[in-house]
Amino acid sequence: MELLAALLNVALLASAVRLTVPILLTALGAVYSERGGVVNIGLEGIMIMGTFFGASVTHLVATILPVHGSEAGATHAIAPVAGMLAAMAAGVLFSLVHAVVAVTFRVNQIISGVVLNLLAVGLARFLNILFFGVATQSPGINGFEPWSVPVLRDVPALAPLATGISPVIPSALVLLGLGHWVLLRTVFGLRLRAVGEHPLAADTLGINVTVMRYAGVLISGALAGLAGGYLSIEQGRGYLEGMTQGRGFIALAAMIFGNWWPVGALGASALFGYFDALSLRVVHTRIPYQFITVLPHIATIFVLAGFMRRAVPPAADGIPYTKEEA
Amino acid sequence: MSTRVRLAVLQAAAPLLAIAFGAVVASGIILAIGKDPLEVYGLMLRFNLTRSDSVAAILLKATPLTFAGLAVALSFRANLWNIGVEGQYAVGAFAAAYVAFGVRGLPAAIHLPLAVLTGVAGGALWALLPIVLKLRRGAHEVITSIMMNYIAAALVLYLLADVFRDPTQAGTPRVRTPLFEDSARIPLLRPVLQLVGIGIPEHSALNWFLPLGLVLCLAAAYLLARTRFGYEVRAVALNPDAAEAAGIRIARTQFYMFLASGAVAGLVGLSDVLGFFGYFDIDFPKGLGFLGISVALLARNDPLGVVPAALLFGFLDRGAQGVQVFSGVPREVITILQAVIILAIVVGYELVTRYVRAQRKREAERAVAGPSDATVGEGG
Repeated sequence: MELLAALLNVALLASAVRLTVPILLTALGAVYSERGGVVNIGLEGIMIMGTFFGASVTHLVATILPVHGSEAGATHAIAPVAGMLAAMAAGVLFSLVHAVVAVTFRVNQIISGVVLNLLAVGLARFLNILFFGVATQSPGINGFEPWSVPVLRDVPALAPLATGISPVIPSALVLLGLGHWVLLRTVFGLRLRAVGEHPLAADTLGINVTVMRYAGVLISGALAGLAGGYLSIEQGRGYLEGMTQGRGFIALAAMIFGNWWPVGALGASALFGYFDALSLRVVHTRIPYQFITVLPHIATIFVLAGFMRRAVPPAADGIPYTKEEA
Repeated sequence: MSTRVRLAVLQAAAPLLAIAFGAVVASGIILAIGKDPLEVYGLMLRFNLTRSDSVAAILLKATPLTFAGLAVALSFRANLWNIGVEGQYAVGAFAAAYVAFGVRGLPAAIHLPLAVLTGVAGGALWALLPIVLKLRRGAHEVITSIMMNYIAAALVLYLLADVFRDPTQAGTPRVRTPLFEDSARIPLLRPVLQLVGIGIPEHSALNWFLPLGLVLCLAAAYLLARTRFGYEVRAVALNPDAAEAAGIRIARTQFYMFLASGAVAGLVGLSDVLGFFGYFDIDFPKGLGFLGISVALLARNDPLGVVPAALLFGFLDRGAQGVQVFSGVPREVITILQAVIILAIVVGYELVTRYVRAQRKREAERAVAGPSDATVGEGG
């Protein structure tokens, strides 16, 4: 009973919600990319770019826009908003490399993604040295003014869940609903899914396979970039090398576990977010902390091993489309 | 020029063009930070080629990269994506280190091979779960092997800091295992090289793992090109359906290749740990597994290509040190250069492959169209 109470602790759940967000956003991006038929292993690298550009642009804007007394509330948000937009833009630009290499040049998508991850690590270190003189971390920054839910915040038992809410959290849920609607109810979504299931048929119907696949990859880049920005601006209050901790890959597992659908990805991301929160909270037990920190990674392996069978990937997922040979 | 010669030239030119493309991109970066690229490259060449210690340093750096590149190439050859070399070599190196400091009183002839084989076993063991889960449960090995990397890092850190930390170092900031027995150290190459008249700097840790890596690459090339098992691997990779129809057990072939990949990965860290440091500490070199992916891609997953690819990366790494010290250009520029070269090379190989396919198709069409044309095509 005591254990159960500890596992359902409100503070733990609140932390789980916060840690679900980066995984959810990235998993949602992965759904767009893979529904269009492009596997994006490079999401981890895209997140890294998001963490770096998110934090550094926030820092930059905050330094050139000094906050003055009375208008502090309004100006306070400008820097993190600029940071989030920069993180998304960096994600889009970086995923463009994947689109060019994997869609236009039809290089194996796993190879392209893996190289993207290698490039991200080197690029982030280099740019950080250039901007801040050290390789591994940026100066500290301030994120958004946190939100709280009226009424609920006054209930002591619920306070951890109802206060200190980053505006990115509701935004992520909106993006999730939007993703569900776009993929299932719009012409764009139908076309994206068509080029992921049967590109030849889609091509015959006059759908531009290359354009749709580019769109899927670039959207995944924007979302993974945003996830990175959230990590560095809202969670870390600064960039730190390695702060993504493999969440890009965990998000891929969440997407698979969620059966390549946005709502499914939410459930899986929440599960991983919970393990992530657990790994941060249960530090003071008799179990060595190194084993606690890898809980999300162990959970990922379990999930992939146990539930892959019933999952159905898009039929042409991972297969480059070659027009002239078809 | 006959078609065959033209294709051979193209295939040889692809890596060179990719390196040139990478150099152009790196030049842009170097210009952007206000330095002269030609000066930087000149400095790099002078530093690498004119200093006597540089050649030894390049070879020393290329040694683990040879094993890492080979490990990755073995799995890629079987259409398997072992991204877990990073974790496999950490576990392998720690396992070997344990034998090196934990087992005492053995003669070197037994102790060193025992330590090396334990490393091999550790690497293979860490590769076991991803491949079993792939073949049995359909879990994609890319993600599971990446997760195993994180778990390996945590496990090694735990064993190092909490279990096997050298008690004499308690109270100091140094976190390392006890010193290894001399009988488990890899002998250096220097005495032998001196016998044949090649002098290398006294402090160079160049050791017998360099020739071992060469031999292993040769053996892998032979295995893949000339044996029945190698034929099966190629068949599984090129056309799984045809391989299965021919009676090849795909799962078994993939299982062995993935374990072989992990076993070779177990050797990656040993040149550093058993050949140089003589203890395992918290600053044990990381990232070699990921560099191995780059080396394998540059080598086009050919074991014989792994050696020059590893040498190139050793060359760039050593050059990066020189450039950082003498011109103030951060060494990360070279990391970016490496990644750009790899991106360019995979695109280049893809274009060449596509061109070759188109050529063959054209030749086949010509052969069908008329026998007279075909003779011209073959002779010309």
